[in-house]
Amino acid sequence: MPTIDVSFKDLCRLVGRNMPLEKLRDEYILYAKGEVDEVKGDELKLDIKDTNRPELWSAEGVAREIQGRITKHIGLPKYKVGKSKVVVKVDKKNENVRPYTVCAVAKGLKIDVNVLSQMIQLQEKVCNTFGRNRKEVALGVYDLHRVKPPINFTTVKPESIKFVPLEFDEAMTPKEILKKHPKGKEFGHLLKGFKEYPIFIDSAGNVLSMPPVINSDYTGKVTTNSRDLFIECSGFNFKFLMAALNVIVTALADRGAKIQTVKVVYPKRVYENKSTIYTPELKPKKFTIKADYANSVTGLKLTPKQMCRLLEKARYKTKVKGGKKEKKIEVLYPAYRQDIMHPRDVVEDIIISYGYNKIEPVVSELATIGSIDNKEVFSNAIAEISVGLGLQEVLSYTLTNKDNLFKKMNIEEQIVAEVENPVSMNWNVFRNWLLPSVMEFLSNNQHVEYPQRVFEIGDVVLLDDTQETKTKDIRKLACAISNTYVSYEEISSVLDAVMKTLGIEYKLKSATHPSFIEGRSANVLVKGKSIGLIGEIHPAVMENWKLEMPVAAFEIDIEELQ
Amino acid sequence: MQEKNSKTGPFRLSKEGQNYLETGLPEMNLVNILKEGPLEIQKAKEMVGNFNIAFQWTKKNGWVVEKDGMLRLVKEPKRSEIQEALKKIADGEEVEKGIIDVLIQRKLVKKMIRGEVDGLVGKEVSDLTPDLIKTGIWKKVTFKPYNVTVAGKRIYPGKRHPYDQFLMKVRRKLVELGFKEMTGPTVETEFWNFDALFQPQNHPARDWTQTYNMKHPKFGRLPEKGIISRVKATHEDGWTTGGTGWGYEWDAQKASRLMPRAHDTAISPRYLAKGVEIPGKYFNIVRCYRPDVIDATHGVEFNQTGGFVIAKDLTFKNLLGLLKQFAYEIAGAKKIKFYADYYPFTEPSCQISIKHPQLGWMEAAGAGIFRPELTEPLGIKEPVIAWGFGIDRLAMHAMSIKDIRYLFSRNLEWLRNQTIII
Repeated sequence: MPTIDVSFKDLCRLVGRNMPLEKLRDEYILYAKGEVDEVKGDELKLDIKDTNRPELWSAEGVAREIQGRITKHIGLPKYKVGKSKVVVKVDKKNENVRPYTVCAVAKGLKIDVNVLSQMIQLQEKVCNTFGRNRKEVALGVYDLHRVKPPINFTTVKPESIKFVPLEFDEAMTPKEILKKHPKGKEFGHLLKGFKEYPIFIDSAGNVLSMPPVINSDYTGKVTTNSRDLFIECSGFNFKFLMAALNVIVTALADRGAKIQTVKVVYPKRVYENKSTIYTPELKPKKFTIKADYANSVTGLKLTPKQMCRLLEKARYKTKVKGGKKEKKIEVLYPAYRQDIMHPRDVVEDIIISYGYNKIEPVVSELATIGSIDNKEVFSNAIAEISVGLGLQEVLSYTLTNKDNLFKKMNIEEQIVAEVENPVSMNWNVFRNWLLPSVMEFLSNNQHVEYPQRVFEIGDVVLLDDTQETKTKDIRKLACAISNTYVSYEEISSVLDAVMKTLGIEYKLKSATHPSFIEGRSANVLVKGKSIGLIGEIHPAVMENWKLEMPVAAFEIDIEELQ
Repeated sequence: MQEKNSKTGPFRLSKEGQNYLETGLPEMNLVNILKEGPLEIQKAKEMVGNFNIAFQWTKKNGWVVEKDGMLRLVKEPKRSEIQEALKKIADGEEVEKGIIDVLIQRKLVKKMIRGEVDGLVGKEVSDLTPDLIKTGIWKKVTFKPYNVTVAGKRIYPGKRHPYDQFLMKVRRKLVELGFKEMTGPTVETEFWNFDALFQPQNHPARDWTQTYNMKHPKFGRLPEKGIISRVKATHEDGWTTGGTGWGYEWDAQKASRLMPRAHDTAISPRYLAKGVEIPGKYFNIVRCYRPDVIDATHGVEFNQTGGFVIAKDLTFKNLLGLLKQFAYEIAGAKKIKFYADYYPFTEPSCQISIKHPQLGWMEAAGAGIFRPELTEPLGIKEPVIAWGFGIDRLAMHAMSIKDIRYLFSRNLEWLRNQTIII
């Protein structure tokens, strides 16, 4: 969930009311699906729980929600959109690199420290969270007075042009920026493999930015002296780009900016069958919900009128429609809401306005019979037997590495289920047998008093082409005894006790396995099928685990016993 | 003190003698079987315990002969003096010297060492021995008192891992509340992990958390075509759910991509698709995998507890009721508070914070009503309340640990010293 910093005073000013901090924390912030995480003087840290409502990730968005609930400012916030003369031409060459952009102009903005910090924060949060770390959405904001439209959105060769990137003194080629600039290093991978890089360049030949990496220092540096802004948003999906742009411009409009459209000219039809489009579009959108449906979800018995009132507080415009039999509510919702896609989404806003904590919780009395999964019941029974045999249960991760599974166990490497993007090479494959986990445990505990008698019951993941997931989880039991002297006899007594207590007939058949001493290991057979291994661990394996105390151990597939 | 058994001193039965007293002398057992008629040696071996001893003595006594692998009774003894002697010794009665010699030879009796026990009369002894009891000399000795206030030598009993024990306790609690346990595969398709939960393929909602992918195997199989086409349609234009859908072209190939299960909710749609009891209450406690940097609050793997409740006419009020029940029954809450929350697959969604007697205010559980875009393509018409419970903090509290990595503690000394969770 996004965490945002806001000034308490600024938030109160935006809401239009001096809110007691207590009230904000206990009640009001819930309207913005948030929680006050930290208070440091005037600085508040807010956790916004909704990752699909980017408009809530700034003081402006939070204020709108609270304002609707506690002041007379209810219903749709009004956004007038004028027309600017700015034109952006999109080159055909962008098609395969970064095909789309939508743009806007915001004029007459009084940018103070709060406006600037909220704008930068919102831009960052939208690009990082909503825009998948700039991959889907990259946003740039520029001082309009330094830009000479028309603007070209085109692509350039990595060394064909030079400009000064933001916060730098020296002009660099795109190639140099990707190598040297911190943002170039961070986001350069998004341009990897392209022969040309996307660029916004104005009619005077000044570069605005190289999305999604960096703005130029000349045009792309917005300060408290800036008044008029040019905003561009680039990426791959019109829906996301429009949504992101709307979130930014409505926040600026709430600060007093006049929003104007930009004419974006594409080489072919791209959006609603048009090649020339005017952005942003801030017209409210329509949705209809049935009143009965809303009550059936909430469990509240609200009249359509009451619902309308609650929705107006959530900044909707509402109208009751339909006859006596079935009342419907037609809602208009503001353009910054891109999350509404089903009547259900509108219903949640009714409940939020009503107040989650004002609704009486009702425990549904359902006559159901509970049960624990058979595998768990059986595992638990085996664990109880093992405990009775004086063994300590241990738990390990199912992720491990090939070294542990094979090399240290003195056996040849096998193909196992493997993770593509591991955090650490220590945990990059799923274990396909359990004994290595137990050996690792013993290896970690050499300073602890002996004898050590341990067992683990856990899943291993085997490759299995017949399965839907091409893998199969198998529940296993592994036991190990380590002491100055341990014998095959000692561990086979443990196995025997487990099997006898379960009432399972088994046989041991002498076997050779490189993890065990030759002549001292066997396969465990149940109904003629091998379900595991038992033996004294080979000294070479002991060396690999840096163990000095001998170990005798077994591992069996317990699903075969059930 | 009356002398028992014979002039040569008191005797008691050896382990073998005691055994024969109870199960019969092997030679007599063989005789008894052969009374029914001749028998193959092999058969007799299977039927009579200690066959070699039995055969040796019956032959020596001239009772049985062997011919062509067959055993035949040639003389039936009326009684066995040895058998009778065993009983007498057990009863402390006198036995003839000649018989005693045979018993000693066959190691069926042991001589009590009179001298040793006699020598103890009137003394303070440290150990109470079988001989002392048998001879009655215990009456004439005193026992050295011990320092009974010292604890014994430390021994380590076999024990469950406390985390496993805690999870079992949660399981039982959920079963008491009427929930049935579900399970699912560790390696899962993106389809069940994301698509079936109405999380679009190229949208931030999919990135609500970082996830792993599988390098090998890479692709799994998708479920039957009906489900696939309904899920596809719902993602693309809302199908008949009354929603707009996400408005993009759904890709089956991407959905078949394999990944380690990133969250426990991956299991619920599998169950909903294959059919569940209605009304029904379901839960799961499963390992989940996310590429978090490992620190005091992030382990390599973690367990998630969650599930769903399905019934006709369930409402948001019931959702709050469920969370409240969990808060008081499982988490031991003293006070509760609800927050509006967001999960990509539920709407409306709610989080409950609880005031725990020791831990103070904390997030305890989350729940939401599954979106119609999730349930309808799976053929479910009834409302489904999905829930998830943050049990790890409660487990850490129960185990008195501050670092989440200790949930999977690999420290034997620590495990040995942990008290059990009741």
